[in-house]
Amino acid sequence: MRQRSGRRPWTFYALAAFFTLFVLFLYGPMSAIYILSFQGPSGGLTFPMNGVSLNWFYALFEQQRTGDFAGSFGRSITLAICVLVLTVTISIMAGLAFRRRFFGAGLIFYLAIASLIMPGLLVSLGIGLMFQFLGIRPNWYTSALGAHLTWTLPFGLLIMFAVFSRFNRAYEEAARDLGASNWQILWTVVLPILFPGIIAVALFGFTLSYDEFPRTMVTVGPRNTLPLEIWVMTTNVTSPALFALGTVTTAVSFLVIALALGSIALIQRRRTRRIIREAGRAA
Amino acid sequence: MKIPPVVVAYLQVLPLFLVLLVFLGVPLVLVVVVSFFDYDMFDIVPAFTLRNYDELLRSELTYTLYYNTVKYAVMVWAITLVIGFTVAYFLVFHVRNLLWQIALFLLCTVPFWTSNVIRMISWIPFLGRNGIFNQSLMLLGVTDQPLEFLLFSDFAVVIAYVHLFTLFMIVPIFNAMARIDPAIIEAAVDGGASRLQILTTIVIPLSKTGIALGSIFVLALTMGDFFVVKIMSGGQSANVVLAMSNEIAMLQYPPAAASAVGLLVVVSLMVAAILRVVDVRRELAG
Amino acid sequence: MTRSGEIQLQRVTKRFGPTVAVEGIDLTIPDGSYCCLLGPSGCGKTTILRMIAGHEEPTDGRIRIGRDDVTGLPPVRRGTAMMFQSYALFPHMTVVDNVAYNLRMRGVGKAERRRQARAMLARVHLDAFAERVPAQLSGGQQQRVALARALITNPRVLLLDEPLSALDEFLRLQMRGELKRLQRELGITFIHVTHTQLEAIALADLVVVMDQGRIEQAGSAHAIYNEPQSAYVARFMGGQNVLSGKVTTVADGQATLLSSEGDRFALPFQGTADFAGTLVHCAVRRDRIKLKKVAAAGRSGQVNALAGEVYAIEYQGSYVKVTLDVPGWPDFVANVPDDRFFAMPVDIGDAVLARWLAKDVRMLEADLGRASEAAGEIGLYKQELGLAQA
Repeated sequence: MRQRSGRRPWTFYALAAFFTLFVLFLYGPMSAIYILSFQGPSGGLTFPMNGVSLNWFYALFEQQRTGDFAGSFGRSITLAICVLVLTVTISIMAGLAFRRRFFGAGLIFYLAIASLIMPGLLVSLGIGLMFQFLGIRPNWYTSALGAHLTWTLPFGLLIMFAVFSRFNRAYEEAARDLGASNWQILWTVVLPILFPGIIAVALFGFTLSYDEFPRTMVTVGPRNTLPLEIWVMTTNVTSPALFALGTVTTAVSFLVIALALGSIALIQRRRTRRIIREAGRAA
Repeated sequence: MKIPPVVVAYLQVLPLFLVLLVFLGVPLVLVVVVSFFDYDMFDIVPAFTLRNYDELLRSELTYTLYYNTVKYAVMVWAITLVIGFTVAYFLVFHVRNLLWQIALFLLCTVPFWTSNVIRMISWIPFLGRNGIFNQSLMLLGVTDQPLEFLLFSDFAVVIAYVHLFTLFMIVPIFNAMARIDPAIIEAAVDGGASRLQILTTIVIPLSKTGIALGSIFVLALTMGDFFVVKIMSGGQSANVVLAMSNEIAMLQYPPAAASAVGLLVVVSLMVAAILRVVDVRRELAG
Repeated sequence: MTRSGEIQLQRVTKRFGPTVAVEGIDLTIPDGSYCCLLGPSGCGKTTILRMIAGHEEPTDGRIRIGRDDVTGLPPVRRGTAMMFQSYALFPHMTVVDNVAYNLRMRGVGKAERRRQARAMLARVHLDAFAERVPAQLSGGQQQRVALARALITNPRVLLLDEPLSALDEFLRLQMRGELKRLQRELGITFIHVTHTQLEAIALADLVVVMDQGRIEQAGSAHAIYNEPQSAYVARFMGGQNVLSGKVTTVADGQATLLSSEGDRFALPFQGTADFAGTLVHCAVRRDRIKLKKVAAAGRSGQVNALAGEVYAIEYQGSYVKVTLDVPGWPDFVANVPDDRFFAMPVDIGDAVLARWLAKDVRMLEADLGRASEAAGEIGLYKQELGLAQA
């Protein structure tokens, strides 16, 4: 059915049109926000545009009027980076572990999946209660961190599963045959080959944490992360500063994605170039 | 000293296990325990009482909330299934170039990387009375009055959920479809199947696990969410989790916990029902 | 639609973008014959098979089956059925549902189509496995299911894409016999794609040897093996050594060649003395070469004789394959019958003289006048193709 050549059936055009509509559906509404964030100083929350300005972007940095943007942004970024590092490390280790059968593997696996589908607020409530009973104050770098991990680790685990299942163990055996220790095999063979998957896990870890909301609500403690700040703003703030915030936060997300994809592409290209160079030298 | 490989595996999975135990397992147990606690105006009182469940099951509000929750969940599931399946089918079977396939797939996933809250509220200027959609409709002469039902209604809630969660349906179905051996499709063509017959006899049966997985995700995420309902219905509607968040805000943890347990039971039943029909384990294990 | 399974390819060409898979193919496959398309990977044989099946369309040219021009028709309307290399059994259906698939597509009722499918399974001795799923069957059993699934459509042409490649050696030989018997029994045309020479000559009434998108030679198995027309076919089939030289004299129906190394060869030749100076390629059958141990290496000085050192010895049961290191002629092989070999054995490193008779040498007409590079460089070729030598 996937023809390698020849005319396309009419269904192709119908489906392509559907797909285009879907993409428009995905990106369309957000574009309203991006446009409105450049709203003029006297403009309101909806169209029409009253001039174009960067007014609302500047307003973001004025702490009193629009909430603690700079502070919550910093906390969100820091938290996201911590979550990234932890998610990558824990996912890689767990992925390695699951290659073997061991007692309890099924249980842990289902626990991870359950973590994915459990309502975020429930997790949040549970962690909040736990901290309350332990007498520890919830804080963004302790309880919220844990809550974020319950959301990012299942994704990381699933990606690692997908990546490992395509990994040919013959590479490891060849390395062992050539005298590498387990640690060396991991560092010089396994991780480099799995690199794109690891980048994917890192990407998930960062962005899922950066955008996380329900699990953070009860666990964040006295100071908000960015999504929570936005949430507060939706109820308090009635100015396009909210949209400006949306644009900025989206720009950060896009930047992170571009960095991730770019680094994968760069590494692949450097590897191929190095191979070609070596081959040229040998010839 | 040689460590047996099994022990190594246990050590490797330990961090994951610990995190899930401490931040999921224990909290879950606590929620169940607290659901049996008593409470008064200022504090929660450790006790064993069925008061919360009693109030929960007797209240008419509960059933309204559950009705809303399930209503939204089912509508969203149906729509995301149709859209998700169609998009995945298009990408796998109609896009020939692998590079294009990846690029278009990424195109669908990029919005996922931006904040859910932002994506949700972006519908407000879009669907509002003076929003882009209404303005374009009036410009095109389709209507001369702005459509009121677009925003702050059930319609808006469902649209927002579909916008947020369709990706969770696309990815597992895409995965399942991509795994179908092309030779099998060709064998079906050789056996005389029309394109429609290939769809119904080959593609859909072989995508079952993907559909099941996607359905589990969408149903669980929709039923566990509250801020979409709150904002997009304009306060006119509510669901279980929204009520829960209100109780939490008022520090009434025991009834919130009971609500949470109730929801968990319902979601688990739904997931178990899906798993009875389709065995998803193989799909997840890669 | 007539029932004739005669296939005609008229100037068929297939291009994939800038690559030309097959070019200007003209071929007629008689009705009811067993035809093997033989060649190394990438030679275009599978492309031709798929074009006959209707899974690919030719860029140029036409395809006829029987009296019908089938170019452009979908597979199901051609009266063909294909057995895929990976079998491509539907993993989510039982064996009987797999076999009944075509009937289901045609709208046959459930009970009736399952009955017919079971009957077909009985013919391939698999009726006991009817309710299993493909994953529960062995490779050989899966293949028979694939066969049954194809045959239930009652085709006039059965197309087999490397059907025996995935089987182990013992099963392969067994299935070979079954395929041949089946073809005789059904009386329809079989087109079988393979890269194994012995398989092709064992099965086929018509062998089509292909290389790089072109047909090198088409003919009976006997003709291909004993009378190759080009150095490529001679080398590919494996039973011959290819030699060449410039014509020096022509007399009494024989020509004498002088190679660049100074060796002299004599062979039957129908041409006149005008051919003096032309480069001629010839082939001598490996089992017609006699070996004799000599004291020391050195040029033989005789006609139809080459001196060299034994390089490798492989026992093959009824004969021993002795590879010689002869200056100027890579891969020179003598297949010595085992009783003769063990009566006078040679060892690796021995200096030997290889001799043969002029009547056992054949000229390779297709390469007449071609430069030796065009006739195919042997060492690199065989390495690339991984050919088994006969």
